[in-house]
Amino acid sequence: MATSSAASARLALVPDVGTDERAPARAPAVIAFDNVALDFGARRVINRLSFDMHPGEVVCVIGPSGCGKTTLLRLLTGLIKPSAGQVRHHGDPVTGPARDVAIVFQDYAKALLPWRTVAGNVSLALEAAGVPKAERAERIHTLLGKVGLAQHAEKFPGQLSGGMQQRLQIARCLAQEPAVLLMDEPFGALDAMTRQTLQDEMLQLVAASGTTVLFITHDLEEAIYLGDAVLALRANPGEQSSLAQTFPVHLPRPRNQLSTREEPEFLRLRREAFDYIKETH
Amino acid sequence: MKADLRGAVVPLGLLLLAEAGMRLNQVQSDALARPSEVGLALWQALLDGSLWLSSGQTLGAALAGLGLGGGLGLLLGLWFGLSRAAAQASSLSVELLRPVPSVALIPLSMLVFGFGFRMEIAVVAFTCFWPMLLLSQAAIRQVEPRLLEVARMLGFNPWDRVAKIVLPAALPRIFVAFRLSVGIALVVGVTVEIAANPQGLGYALMSAQQSLRPDLMFALLLWLGLLGWALSAGLLVLQQRWFRHSLPDAAGDRP
Repeated sequence: MATSSAASARLALVPDVGTDERAPARAPAVIAFDNVALDFGARRVINRLSFDMHPGEVVCVIGPSGCGKTTLLRLLTGLIKPSAGQVRHHGDPVTGPARDVAIVFQDYAKALLPWRTVAGNVSLALEAAGVPKAERAERIHTLLGKVGLAQHAEKFPGQLSGGMQQRLQIARCLAQEPAVLLMDEPFGALDAMTRQTLQDEMLQLVAASGTTVLFITHDLEEAIYLGDAVLALRANPGEQSSLAQTFPVHLPRPRNQLSTREEPEFLRLRREAFDYIKETH
Repeated sequence: MKADLRGAVVPLGLLLLAEAGMRLNQVQSDALARPSEVGLALWQALLDGSLWLSSGQTLGAALAGLGLGGGLGLLLGLWFGLSRAAAQASSLSVELLRPVPSVALIPLSMLVFGFGFRMEIAVVAFTCFWPMLLLSQAAIRQVEPRLLEVARMLGFNPWDRVAKIVLPAALPRIFVAFRLSVGIALVVGVTVEIAANPQGLGYALMSAQQSLRPDLMFALLLWLGLLGWALSAGLLVLQQRWFRHSLPDAAGDRP
């Protein structure tokens, strides 16, 4: 996991400046947004967006609805192409879905295959990756163990609670052994207790695997709690950059639902980010 | 599917009322028969085997027609569902041919096939072709877009995407289309037998009518109702067993 001070040094450079000023000496970025712009018809949804994500970082994105948070993910998967600029994955322009990029969707109920068991849903990712049948069972078992679903392998998604369904989707994404995990408001539909549990489980899992995470949320505190950095996007950027502000998060890891949220730094960030959100709404 | 016996109160009451009313008024009719006579006629037809024979003929023809027309409709529906180009190229032909009432094809079918099962099967096949075509096409179109996105993210090739995601996702709705088509096939089969094919339950109905046997006629009607109900209920049981996890909304879809 990158240290948070290093994260801040990188990210501080990013807003509103051209691409040529990026720090040269860093390890290569896993993901690089390079002056990206995107138009939907005549409307510019994303403008002059530049940021890098380095291995093991957790970057959270907040912003008002309609600011292109989910669009950001689609750009990363190559499902849509930028109107200008470039999105790079390990240095190469993104042209389409890559096996080592996984998405956790918010609507877990729609993203899971209702006709397959819990184990079968995880198996889907292994089948896609061409894992031989003989190896699948053991890997499924390990993955389900990691997300606490080992006891439920033969159930169907419809028989699980929302939190368990989202755990299952995370397990299926981890089965891809992704270098980058994209999460689109994954815990937004869950109750507060389940959300906190899943936040901690997710942090443990990605820390253990060294996965780089781009986490979209509308929950400010969640963004600060999870992230090494919080990117605040603005809606209708016009001539400005979509990236309104970057908040580096200097909070020690592992994080703790009680003590982390009581740290002066957490409260300071919360106030700062909250002020920003209030201004832009 | 727990049977609700309260539902049986009304029909049984009406039957008793009819029986009593007709006995008291000493009704003699060529068009009506007492429920007890109808029951007796049904029993006799079951015993002498004639009912089984004509039921077998009707069901055989209806299912053969469904298999032919529905199967073809299913294949084309899958194709049109998967390929917008194919759907667009064929949409005008579909729109022009679909409204033709299937029974209107009896004369043509008779010219081609003469009297008999081949003619009946052809008409049933034509009828079942359309719902299977349109509903399976719609079933493919209605596959949850999120699942298609998941398939793309996982990097499935087109073949695996169809085999592992699209078809299993569409299958519950396709089965519902099949269930509907079974009912349609039975109705059209009997209609063709009444109008043209001198075999099966439809023809049995006609000959009961012509030989002034209202008891047998009502017995056949009752039998047709039971047959249709049993088919539909059986398929519904299968649907709930097979697609319980994929069709949560099917829970409210009960007979």
